[in-house]
Amino acid sequence: MDADSDVALDILITNVVCVFRTRCHLNLRKIALEGANVIYKRDVGKVLMKLRKPRITATIWSSGKVICTGATSEEEAKFGARRLARSLQKLGFQVIFTDFKVVNVLAVCNMPFEIRLPEFTKKNRPHASYEPELHPAVCYRIKTLRATLQIFSTGSITVTG
Amino acid sequence: MAERGRCPECGSAALVEDAHYAQQQLVCAACGCVLAEGLLTTTYTDEEHLREVAYSQSTGQKEQLSRCLQRGIRRVQDLCKVLQLPTVFEETAVSYFQRALQHPSFHLVSLEKKELLGGCCVFVTCRQHNWPLTMGTICSLLYAKQELFASVYLSLQKELGLSVPALSLGDLVKTHLNSFRLFQHAADVPAPFVEDKEKMVARTMQIVELASETWLVTGRHPIPIVTAAAFLSWQSLQPPARLTCTLARFCKLAGVDLPPPAHLRLKELLEILLRMASQLAWLRVFKVDKKTVVKHIGDLLQHRIFLLKNAFCLEDGEEQRAAAPGEGSLGGGCPGSAPAAGGAAQEDGCPSEGKRQREGGPRPLLPPCLINPRKRLRTAAPSAADSAVTGDEPISDSEIEQYLRGPEEIRAFRKAKAWP
Repeated sequence: MDADSDVALDILITNVVCVFRTRCHLNLRKIALEGANVIYKRDVGKVLMKLRKPRITATIWSSGKVICTGATSEEEAKFGARRLARSLQKLGFQVIFTDFKVVNVLAVCNMPFEIRLPEFTKKNRPHASYEPELHPAVCYRIKTLRATLQIFSTGSITVTG
Repeated sequence: MAERGRCPECGSAALVEDAHYAQQQLVCAACGCVLAEGLLTTTYTDEEHLREVAYSQSTGQKEQLSRCLQRGIRRVQDLCKVLQLPTVFEETAVSYFQRALQHPSFHLVSLEKKELLGGCCVFVTCRQHNWPLTMGTICSLLYAKQELFASVYLSLQKELGLSVPALSLGDLVKTHLNSFRLFQHAADVPAPFVEDKEKMVARTMQIVELASETWLVTGRHPIPIVTAAAFLSWQSLQPPARLTCTLARFCKLAGVDLPPPAHLRLKELLEILLRMASQLAWLRVFKVDKKTVVKHIGDLLQHRIFLLKNAFCLEDGEEQRAAAPGEGSLGGGCPGSAPAAGGAAQEDGCPSEGKRQREGGPRPLLPPCLINPRKRLRTAAPSAADSAVTGDEPISDSEIEQYLRGPEEIRAFRKAKAWP
């Protein structure tokens, strides 16, 4: 590619997954009864709570562990997690917001060209793995960054890690 | 010197413990009478007392293979026999299986997974020797679910660090067509439907190569493409008799399963062939449609490089100026999203192409999902207000109230749901 035809690539973060602990036991039935926007999955023992403003879905377990997904940035994930902890506090639980950690970030990027996957796999042997019978994309793993890239033939790349 | 009592014969107290060969004996030193004999062999209870270290704590290793491993190896060997694989494959597959089973992540999995593990080892061995075996075949032989097989296969590849080369399409075509029952006369196959194997294999290979050049193979399951290509090649070898036969009937006569995506692949292949036919001089006079193009597949395949160049647009705009070698131009193609690509050299070409496209002229050579995008393209970066979020802003009560139910609501809900 020549320097003058360098196009700025838009990398869009589409999902950030984070976890935090409330350091107290949570009564899932009470949350399901008194919380709005809540789905109680009794068979697996968890409650799904959805927030509107940062569009976040939180999975709450009775042990006090909470996983938040759906944020579009790490700051927004923290923003949403704190709001969630506050809602649980208002429901009457002695919640302490601790051990907040961003676990996974998913980003999407589009290349302005198509990619021939079989040739790409041949040239990137140890890192790339392509099984057309299983998945239409090449799975490229970068061990040092602990990241996985899914490369599609249309030029769309999904980065997870 | 053991002194236990006296000798019953002579009454002497001189008793000696001596070994007669390997047998311990208590003998009277005076008269030679044997009072008691030791055992040549020890009993289990005796041995237990002699053991000071438990077997599980010792460094000893069982030379015999465990029953699970033996069963697994037998299963792997049976699979190789059913698939009629060479002996080398069997040995390699068994060695992989033994290595995998000793690995901590496979040692304690369920029996179902261990059986799939055997199948995965056979599959990996075949792929490494370029033997065309699909996952579908192995799954059907093991009566396994494809998802479970896929997960076991991926973890096997990761744990053992195996490098598995890609499936060769050419070999897959030959192997898949071997299972078709149209090459010999049979009671349920009408005479005009029987075909010569060599001709059909050759033509199917050409159609599959055409598909891989036109972005129909990348990222897709190979079997539906091979099935669709086989159908087209079979129809084109004797069009008058076979044009009325549908893909479903063809698969039934051939005795193979019809994979669901095969219809879509057939449609895409026909579209490509129609575009190529529009560039063939002696076909321009005729009105060629999906049915009639099949008759001319032979000619289209013969001149496919030239026709592909003409039917689909290239990087340099006009075809006459395109001196690029066939493969390079087909590989590059015109980028789909013209605004993003925007090179100076292309700006002259693209507007004229835009006009020609509307007239039904050459279209860019792209994967079908880019030509008919079903997904909405994602919106651009978030607004400035959102990007100022730090995560530590104060939280207002009103904001939280919207997520909690009021007391009347709770009462009504309780009554409706009848919570215990």
